Amino acid sequence: MVHIRDFPTLGRIAMRRNRWVQIGLLIGLWWLSDTAVRYLEIPVPGAVIGLAALLVLLISGWAPAAWFRRGTKGLLDHMLLFFLPAAMALLDHRDLFGVAGLKVVLAVVVGTVLVMVGTALSVEACFRWSARRAS
Amino acid sequence: MRPEIVPLFWLAVTLVSYCLSRWIDARLHQWWTSPLLLTFGFCLTLALVLHASYHDYLSGTFWLGTLLGPATVAFALPIYEKREMIRRYWPTLAVGVVAGSTISIISSLLLAHWLGLAPDVRLSLVPRSITTPFAMAVSGGIGGIPGLTATCVILTGLCGGAVGELLLKWLPLRSSFSRGALFGMGAHGCGAAKAREVGVEEGSIAGLVMVLAGLANVAFAPVLAILLR
Repeated sequence: MVHIRDFPTLGRIAMRRNRWVQIGLLIGLWWLSDTAVRYLEIPVPGAVIGLAALLVLLISGWAPAAWFRRGTKGLLDHMLLFFLPAAMALLDHRDLFGVAGLKVVLAVVVGTVLVMVGTALSVEACFRWSARRAS
Repeated sequence: MRPEIVPLFWLAVTLVSYCLSRWIDARLHQWWTSPLLLTFGFCLTLALVLHASYHDYLSGTFWLGTLLGPATVAFALPIYEKREMIRRYWPTLAVGVVAGSTISIISSLLLAHWLGLAPDVRLSLVPRSITTPFAMAVSGGIGGIPGLTATCVILTGLCGGAVGELLLKWLPLRSSFSRGALFGMGAHGCGAAKAREVGVEEGSIAGLVMVLAGLANVAFAPVLAILLR
């Protein structure tokens, strides 16, 4: 039988085990920070403030990481589903189904190659430089 | 179609095509079976065939977009769990993020300018290399269209997954850091998934670079907005 004194433990188990409870917690945190940002008129997205707040909670030890692990996995695994509605805005920009769209694709492909090559080579240079200095 | 069914119909189409594409991808695991490509392609094609407006589509699915906020908050956990790595290698990570973001912003602007794209499309291209929730925040801040940016981010991810593997063969990269940074900076979440296939270390660096690049770009967005004005 469930005794009244077991409730704190049950709550703790729910926080550690249940993905939906944890997702609810993350939604609550986002809602709080989003409301605060709107109320205080801070020019930073509410979600980013929420991220910073959660990071502070975790680093200071006020909230254990186990309370967020499953919820985080649940949300980040399905992120594609969350930005799909935004990406469908393409329906409102019919001009991009023509030549303009091909130009965008070209810009993305060339730009991505440049970013990848530039990032990888600069990190590699940094790595070799620090390796040489260490030896 | 009766108007009260429209929201439910598009929600069902989105969820069912998402589940199906994940199932197909788990089975076949080819570049073209990426759930990103299949779900987006299917929903877009169906909407075009049925002559549906964006308003119709959004009526049933807008709440999915709202969940992008809590997903952004959730990025705190990977940062927290990799705090030791950040402390030890922050100079290398910073070099990757700064170099990658600078190249991404400048190349997007120059390429869009040379190709003669409209100003709002040009600005929407700027944050395409970072992960979607951050990219949409930056896009809104600098005068782009967040929805178009989301499309450009998807394109970048699809392209980056394929191109990254080729570049990995050609570039003389000795450290797992540069291989991870290539994927995380170049193709955000899709790149991080690819990097996990290359190696555990590459995967975790790619994930970290992706989150840090997103944060750095959001932090830099107000300055960028002034520079682009």
